[in-house]
Amino acid sequence: MFSNAKLNEKIAFTLLKIATGMVVAFVMVILYYIISNGYSVINLEFITSMPRNRMTEGGIFPAIMGTAYLIVGSMAVALPLGILSAIYLNEYAQSGRTTWAIEMAISNLAGTPSVVFGLFGLALFVKYLGFGPSLISASLTLALLILPVIIRASQEALLTVPKEYREASLALGVTKWETIRRVVLPAAIPGMITGAILSIGRVAGETAPILLTGAAYFLPRMPDSIYSQFMALPYHLYVLATSGTNIAQTRPLQYGTALVLLIIVLCVNIVAVSIRSHYRNKIKR
Amino acid sequence: MSNRYLKEKGIESLLFASGAVAVIALFLLCIFLFRDGILLFSEYPINSFLTATKWYPTAEPAHFGILPLFLGSVIVTIGAVIFSVPLGIAVAIYISELASPKISNVLKPVTEILAGIPSVVYGFFGLVILVPIIQNTLELPTGQTALTGSIMLGIMALPTIISISEDAISSVPRTLKEGSLALGSTKWQTIYKVTVPASLSGISAAVMLGIGRAIGETMTVMMVTGNSAVIPGFPSGLFAPVRTMTATIALEMGEVPQGSDHFHALFAIGSVLFITTFIINIIANYVKKRYRFNL
Amino acid sequence: MPENYDNGTEVEVRDLNLWYGENHALHDISIDIPKNSVTALIGPSGCGKSTFLRCLNRMNDLVKNCRIEGKVHIDKQNIYSKDVDVVDLRKRVGMVFQKPNPFPMSIHDNIAYGPRIHGTGKKNIRGVVEEALRSGALWDEVSERLDKSALDLSGGQQQRLCIARTLAVRPEVILFDEPCSALDPISTSKIEELILELKKKYTIVIVTHNMQQAARISDYTGFFLTGELVEFDKTEQIFESPREKATEDYITGRFG
Repeated sequence: MFSNAKLNEKIAFTLLKIATGMVVAFVMVILYYIISNGYSVINLEFITSMPRNRMTEGGIFPAIMGTAYLIVGSMAVALPLGILSAIYLNEYAQSGRTTWAIEMAISNLAGTPSVVFGLFGLALFVKYLGFGPSLISASLTLALLILPVIIRASQEALLTVPKEYREASLALGVTKWETIRRVVLPAAIPGMITGAILSIGRVAGETAPILLTGAAYFLPRMPDSIYSQFMALPYHLYVLATSGTNIAQTRPLQYGTALVLLIIVLCVNIVAVSIRSHYRNKIKR
Repeated sequence: MSNRYLKEKGIESLLFASGAVAVIALFLLCIFLFRDGILLFSEYPINSFLTATKWYPTAEPAHFGILPLFLGSVIVTIGAVIFSVPLGIAVAIYISELASPKISNVLKPVTEILAGIPSVVYGFFGLVILVPIIQNTLELPTGQTALTGSIMLGIMALPTIISISEDAISSVPRTLKEGSLALGSTKWQTIYKVTVPASLSGISAAVMLGIGRAIGETMTVMMVTGNSAVIPGFPSGLFAPVRTMTATIALEMGEVPQGSDHFHALFAIGSVLFITTFIINIIANYVKKRYRFNL
Repeated sequence: MPENYDNGTEVEVRDLNLWYGENHALHDISIDIPKNSVTALIGPSGCGKSTFLRCLNRMNDLVKNCRIEGKVHIDKQNIYSKDVDVVDLRKRVGMVFQKPNPFPMSIHDNIAYGPRIHGTGKKNIRGVVEEALRSGALWDEVSERLDKSALDLSGGQQQRLCIARTLAVRPEVILFDEPCSALDPISTSKIEELILELKKKYTIVIVTHNMQQAARISDYTGFFLTGELVEFDKTEQIFESPREKATEDYITGRFG
């Protein structure tokens, strides 16, 4: 009986280890395929030149720039809005119906599929407000998509600031806002930045929303205003892989594009995680 | 005094306005989504939309039956759940109960990488690597099947399931586990008789959120499931191409004239999708709220 | 109740009642706290002494569902009247907390924090910081490293830094909420000396669970029990011949 339980345990733990090994293997296999196949394609020319010959040759420069514009545009809107919302929710809001409504809205926005955000952006920004399929429509759509992420990260950062700091400042006859601005925010900023950086990765990788709000199949030039259409890395990869002029021949370009996208996203994650751990160690001191 | 008071009140109003943006956004999202969706029903009966078995949007007359698409989403999601839930929970148990802190500190960021990879990269990987494998090993006419989508979605849902389950399992009080161990149970008996049941509602919330993520995923399924709008059988449908609600919107929106019935039909699908994930989120939040141990 | 203090009355409390939601935490507290002296509030934990202290600079305003009735006059002004600005009140009534709570900034910036916000110019700030650190009996220990993080100071130094930070705002009254409970005996005696020095210029109210401390440094002592002020008198009176049985039980240690 006793040895039976021991045997069961051994089997169960082995299975758990196999499961974990499988998941690690998934990560490794995906990274391996993209990196090993994309690695030889990436060079300065690939990154800095325009696609040529119906996108079967040349580089991905406009797609990289388009993605960069989207990051700047959506962060410019979502970051201030998200941080201010988080300050309101954590520092000012009384528990009540309004706060409940805000919290509920945030968690539902966070769970809404990105393609639905795309439809919303299409209906509101592209059609109703008349921005057309454009950088601004796509940036605003992505801004709404990452708003919940930034709010949640900022709220968590604010929660790590000890209550004692606030009390000490208030007891010195300092107003609530001055207390937040001079004591609470400086302590919370690193955590907020971590959240913001992670959502950059999200913006860089989202495809469905920009597909509906302004990403172009192919553009032989750079966008010249916020009302222009644009190319973007994830959509470019999709186009090359599924509906390009010569899918098999452009396989290397596809791997290269996927790798550039992956590098952007992984770098962003590494930066965010290292800021977070640096900051955590500082707190422990 | 009054000057400072006004400044403080002004700032508070500004902060409140920012907080309200989330509510306004959700409100506008509902309005704009449903408005264009409902317009379909002035031309096309809502009954047919919900129950017709054919999605032929460009035929004459057009058929806008959402059923094959809805069931397509469902079968891909079910496959993903069958694949990822046991795996995700196993990994969560391993990280929180068995692994040394050193190992779990490596494993956590590794699973976070899965969360960071863009869905289009998953789709690309699935298309060039997994699709041929499925086709050859199962000897199918095409590798673009519901099963392919399920596997990719399952991998994508793993980080959500792992991290939330792991939170729930870690939050089980140590005293509870020690109580069981002190009675002479093995570590494994403690895990499956005490720890896992105690964190079950947290794990269910993780599963719900994983489902929400899978059902709303677009690019990956669009690239690997073949996109043919037929009602899938179960489980035979797993091995045939299917088309999900999300893929339909993304595939067809580029080609429809704005304001046409087809355009409105895609918004109607979006509305159904939104309501589905909305309900899933509410259930997830509800079960999540109940799992925290109040110590 | 002692009246006609030599230096006059600083804080006058009448029929103060406080509720946390349904919980009636303070019952009909009336007390006159004398100017330029040390008043100690003692009692078992949960008796309401800290809650009472936090009424004097309205820190209880921060607590949800907290309701207060009655009058609290500081320097003849009702601090709960509508036209009182809480922010100004807290400048006049400083507070030192149980756990030292320096900001994660340099020593200099911790002290300069209050004066800067209250409008002291760049030119004068150095002088204000030095004066506050001298009054806080910390100057000699930190004058060489003002730009170092305050978090690197020892616990006792941190607490004196917090006292100096309060002094820099130039309050009239300083509230101490068990300021030594997290400190070692040597740091504690430094703080006690400092408090005796400070009473020359400030009115001091200190909550403590340490009766010897109350006996050593206070001129007047109030004994709290289950939300009521049982007895308030000169410290010698309380410790040598208390009038109430409960006070005597507590002081002689025959209590819970």
